[in-house]
Amino acid sequence: MANTKQFILMLLPIFVLFMNGGCSRKDKEPGQVTICFAFQDLETEYWVAAHKAITETLKDKNITVLQHNAHQDANRQLEQIRDAIAQDVDGIIMIPQDGESAVTIIGEANKASIPIAVFNRPPANKSNPALVVVADNTKIAEETVAYMAKTARNLNRKMTPLILVGDLGDQNSIERKNGFYNAVNANPDLFKKPIEVPTKWDAATTLANLEAALQVESAVDFVFTSSDFLYPQIKAVLEPLGKWKPIGDAGHVILGGLDGDSTAYKLMKKGYVDATGVQDLFFEADAIMEALLDSIEKGQTKPEKWIQDPGFALTQENMAERQMDMWGCRILKQAEAGAAP
Amino acid sequence: MSDHFVLVITVLYFLLIWAIYPHMAGRRNIANLFSNVWPLLALVIGQMFVLIVGGIDLSQTSIMAVTSVLGAMIMAGRFDPAKFEQNPLWSVVFSEQGGLLAGSGWAVPAAILIMLVVGIGIGLFNGMAVAKLKMPPFMVTLVAMSFYSGLAIYLTRSENIMHLPDSFIAIGKGSLGPVPSAMLIVVTLAVLAFVILNLSILGRWFYAVGQNIRTARVSGVPTERVVIVAYVFSGFCAAIGSILYSARLEAGRPTLGRNLLLDVIGAAVIGGISLYGGKGRVLWAVYGVLFFVVLDNSLNKMPLEFYSIDIIKGGVILMAVLLDSLRTSIASRQTAAEGIS
Repeated sequence: MANTKQFILMLLPIFVLFMNGGCSRKDKEPGQVTICFAFQDLETEYWVAAHKAITETLKDKNITVLQHNAHQDANRQLEQIRDAIAQDVDGIIMIPQDGESAVTIIGEANKASIPIAVFNRPPANKSNPALVVVADNTKIAEETVAYMAKTARNLNRKMTPLILVGDLGDQNSIERKNGFYNAVNANPDLFKKPIEVPTKWDAATTLANLEAALQVESAVDFVFTSSDFLYPQIKAVLEPLGKWKPIGDAGHVILGGLDGDSTAYKLMKKGYVDATGVQDLFFEADAIMEALLDSIEKGQTKPEKWIQDPGFALTQENMAERQMDMWGCRILKQAEAGAAP
Repeated sequence: MSDHFVLVITVLYFLLIWAIYPHMAGRRNIANLFSNVWPLLALVIGQMFVLIVGGIDLSQTSIMAVTSVLGAMIMAGRFDPAKFEQNPLWSVVFSEQGGLLAGSGWAVPAAILIMLVVGIGIGLFNGMAVAKLKMPPFMVTLVAMSFYSGLAIYLTRSENIMHLPDSFIAIGKGSLGPVPSAMLIVVTLAVLAFVILNLSILGRWFYAVGQNIRTARVSGVPTERVVIVAYVFSGFCAAIGSILYSARLEAGRPTLGRNLLLDVIGAAVIGGISLYGGKGRVLWAVYGVLFFVVLDNSLNKMPLEFYSIDIIKGGVILMAVLLDSLRTSIASRQTAAEGIS
């Protein structure tokens, strides 16, 4: 009985909390802007650089940033963003786990009348309004593969192409695949039927699947990776097969990718990679922050705008004049300048 | 008093955080907290049964994933051909017009029934392997986790299944009057678990098996059947969790709950359910989940670097495991001393 009394006494504070629920005190100072930055993970150089660019810029503007890493779990991201909404943040920047969960989460922000911006990975549909910045992945991939095809044509033989496909739950991945096929289908005399290797945006999966694919079809001599972060896995598979050769050497596999990270830049400099599609990371980060801050200032609660990053294909031909437009190159140069005595 | 220790800590911690972040006790945040409690509690209750009999169920999250996609394949109203046309189940189980029972009034009940049956079936298989084949629970459920996670991805080719019926989504997001549907379901589950553990002979058998399986066997307890029932109940609870999480995310997801296992076991241990078997109560599971969710929610409110949150959560779980180890060690020393005297 005494135990029950104690228990009831302990429940009282919870009851009091409920009664006080919805109190009007605020967590933040008046005029202080708080933004929730929810990202799915930081597994690639692209996401790390984007995370750095966004958080540092916001902090420089004296904006409080609540960072949430969902560890590739859409449910966790939903819970984190609901928590941020309950905290009355002024705006949300999200890198979603996938396009489908993005739709649901945008809906939550819409219901709470909090402006939400989606960075680089677009929602699966436009049913809920949001600010979205995304690269023109189809065009960038198509231009990159078109250059690779032009190089291949000089070899005067039919090529065996292979594409490392990303997670097909990600719209970017689908568009990159479409861009690859647009360029391949434009050269029917040049290519055999493409081999598709699923990666699910995972390094270990890529390694296993690429090894298996090359055991079945060793004649592969044209490889396009849907993301630059998979180059180490490509090298790990091609090197033991004697296929990791620089441009000009017999047995060079024509190689290209998309993102524009520092690994791709270094491999292009060394002559292993023929071309890489570049997303303008800094443009995307600046554009999404500007759009969100503008909406907050204007009091827009459900802003809708799709901002497109046109990107470009960095090739061995245009590298000299355009390499500084590649974010991976700029990061590398900045790091080198910082390390210099 | 010690029974409610975790609740006291939770309330004190809540009050402390409330003093710093007034939104902590806001209506929206309280609603958030509880909406995060229900699905996790369903999983922890199931895990508790297995922990009480001295086992562990690492396959709960993969049961969630596989049941999530199977249920969605039956009831989804539409499938996107661009994503699913290559799937071997296309035109067999689902098509552009939807899942097997799309549009039928039976779609949702049938999907839920199949999700529960599959959850129970996987639990039965796990239990048989542990009880009849004497395989280590860790290994059986780890392999099951790998197998069923892979199966979920294979069945969908890593695609999320959207367009679930509104009546299904309402299970995760809707309410009956002022009471959330998820709460009704999980409170019913908790009451069922309480009745089994506290008011039935089966409950006593669970504890007996967990405390000393040999003694239990000698005393006439059907130990194998008891262990099997524990895993079956865990599978059933995982399927309930799958229903709630799928409904709130509005999609059948092959990666559902991929990173949830540590939360489930962490919340159970924080509540005081022993990893060494023989100890656990429904109330402890509730307290463990409450503490875990409040901790998670409070950390989301702090402008911390994202990795700090992981470190703090990991540290709290580690402390709970350490306390469990110390408590078990002291108890076994006392038992040994009593035996000698």
